[in-house]
Amino acid sequence: MPEQAQRRAPLGQPQPQENPPDDKHALEELRHLIVGPEQKEIAEIQERLEDREQRAEDVGSVVAEAIQKRREHGGDRALSEALAPTIQETLRESVRKDPHVLADALFPVMGPAIRKSITEALRAMLESFNQALEHSLSIRGLQWRLEALRTGKSFGEIVLMHSLLYRVEQVFLIHRKTGLVLGHVVAQSVSTQDPSMVAGMLSAIQQFVADSFDARSDETLDSLNVGGLEVFVEQSPDAVIAAVIRGHAPSDYRLSMKEALEEIQQQYAAALENFEGDAGPFLTVDDRLGRLLTAQLKDKQEARKKPVAAIVAVSVIALLAIGWLGYSSYLLFEWSRFLHAVRGQPGIVVLSYAKQNGRYHIQGFKDPLAEDPAKLLAKEGIDPQNAEFDLAPFYSLDDAIVLKRAQVMLHPPASVKLTERDGQLIAEGSAEPKWIARIEERGPWIAGVHGVDISHLQNSDWVQMEPLKRLIESQVLLFPLGRAELEPGQEIKLAEAEKNIHGLLAQAGTLNEQVSLELIGHTDSTGIEASNLALSAERAARIRAALLRGGVSQATLRPRGVGASQPLRTEDSEEGRRLNRSVTLKVVFSPSTPYN
Amino acid sequence: MIQKKVCMLGSFSVGKTSLVSRFVKSIFSEAYLTSIGVKIDKKVLRANDEDVALVLWDIHGEDVYQKIRMSYLRSMHGYLLVADGTRRQTLEDALALNERVVQEFGKLPSVLVLNKSDLAERWEIDSAGEAKLAEQGWSVVRTSAKTGDAVESAFTQLARAMLAV
Repeated sequence: MPEQAQRRAPLGQPQPQENPPDDKHALEELRHLIVGPEQKEIAEIQERLEDREQRAEDVGSVVAEAIQKRREHGGDRALSEALAPTIQETLRESVRKDPHVLADALFPVMGPAIRKSITEALRAMLESFNQALEHSLSIRGLQWRLEALRTGKSFGEIVLMHSLLYRVEQVFLIHRKTGLVLGHVVAQSVSTQDPSMVAGMLSAIQQFVADSFDARSDETLDSLNVGGLEVFVEQSPDAVIAAVIRGHAPSDYRLSMKEALEEIQQQYAAALENFEGDAGPFLTVDDRLGRLLTAQLKDKQEARKKPVAAIVAVSVIALLAIGWLGYSSYLLFEWSRFLHAVRGQPGIVVLSYAKQNGRYHIQGFKDPLAEDPAKLLAKEGIDPQNAEFDLAPFYSLDDAIVLKRAQVMLHPPASVKLTERDGQLIAEGSAEPKWIARIEERGPWIAGVHGVDISHLQNSDWVQMEPLKRLIESQVLLFPLGRAELEPGQEIKLAEAEKNIHGLLAQAGTLNEQVSLELIGHTDSTGIEASNLALSAERAARIRAALLRGGVSQATLRPRGVGASQPLRTEDSEEGRRLNRSVTLKVVFSPSTPYN
Repeated sequence: MIQKKVCMLGSFSVGKTSLVSRFVKSIFSEAYLTSIGVKIDKKVLRANDEDVALVLWDIHGEDVYQKIRMSYLRSMHGYLLVADGTRRQTLEDALALNERVVQEFGKLPSVLVLNKSDLAERWEIDSAGEAKLAEQGWSVVRTSAKTGDAVESAFTQLARAMLAV
């Protein structure tokens, strides 16, 4: 210490002999000599301390480091407490001055935060609402309520317990060496034991297993199973994550645990290594662990399953209902079709119908000639067994039935077409006189027939004789002017006519018909009427004589002269006048006489 | 809160479990002790103006049939060495166990607990012996798990010792 030696040097000098004031001065000097530099330094320091500006500068240069140091020391709580009022006041002041500054700064954070919070709240509400709906009224719901009563747990917990596929209830982050808990997160409404003890016990069990079964250091206990609970354990060099899971977590859950552990191991490497019981540095780790608190509801799977059964059941019921409805309406449709057919059926009157014991009961009237309703049923494809008829007989005045009745009573020949309209029976075609007589006589007696019209009905005998009649009537026997003898050559015609007359008479005899023959004498218009009439009568008489000679019976022949009153032709030519000088024949059938 | 892993060491029936069961928070049954040889409990106390949670590893008492599993002691921050003051042998055994612990894990904060102080008339360790232990560097605490005497103090001493490290 050369300096000290130097300072002490004056001590050797004979200064104590001086008087007291001098002594005081000397002492002062001595002090100055000894502590002079320090005094100066102290004065400087004092000056520095008193100079506010200087002090602010000094503190300012280290304030950041100081805060950091304090935080590293673990005193961040005190620091936070100290700073909190100032920061709060600052914020309040900032908002008071200009709210936009803070609003702008927070804007990017607020939106997502609010959205997230709203979504979360809505999701939770919907979830609980759905579950409540689903579980509140079912038998299962009642069972769960009983279980809740029995176990003393809340109904919500019981529902959650049964409706979860899995749910991670707790996650522990444990310091591997000491078994002390570094972080612990718990799902909502899960009751837990003290995490530090549970973590310790888990570590103890780990070590117990490792010791007991001589496991290698890399072989560790990675899961525990207790009833419905499962504990997944993942280890890193310094930390252990244990997840307590109710139900069965999927295998990829372990992967998320590994990822979380790797992140934590990396992020907190130093803190983990130097851990001495202060979990302070791990305060933020709970956020990361919180992401491992996942859950999956069974409902998703069941929801897929449930509707299948329900849909099948509903479909079957719906199909049955549709089928039944369809079948019933088909039956109804068939019946209505049948009823319609029955009602439209002539000769049947339906008064009432009703369904009794699955059978239809039909009541009314039926003409004996009407169609059998059982046959109608068969035609409509309905089993006649399903119907019962109670139909009283009556005479129907339906045209169709009246016609049928007429046919039954009159037996018309095939050549007759019988129709009936409004009580008028009409016969057309041809029939034997016998049948014609019958319809004339019996027709009006038929129920429902008021009159008979046979104006279009021909005598079939007459029809048969028609050809000969036509041949006979086509003959014109010519006479010369003013004379009553046939023109030369007309005898041949007369002979042919005579032959045909014989044929006709023979046929009439066979058919029992009365036939007469009119011999009509004509003249041309020359001469006076009286002489013409006489001439024409003479001409007819001449032909009558000739036919009588030919064997035709006298009764059959009716000669008469008409003069020029019924000319065959107009007399504008010689040929016309010639044809009018003639005798023509007309076959007349006598009306039939009744045959019995 | 600061946590510390603390082991409770000592022979069978020196009252370790009694120390724990009346004065600490416990959730596990004692069956664990006999089954896996350890039971975890927790004791929260205030030392040096700080809340400290002692996670207590109550290690199954050592006897002729069962050695303690040293792996349970790994990374502990301190330990209570418990002996029965009415049975001198238990102190000898405890000190022998301590030797092994020190050998394995080095010197760690520890408190020597002489339990059953309520049975003064059967006390086998005289004050000279106790003084000798203190000389050897032991913090010695006479406790009674039965009356609760000095139990808190034993834990607090250990907590302070650990916080001082």
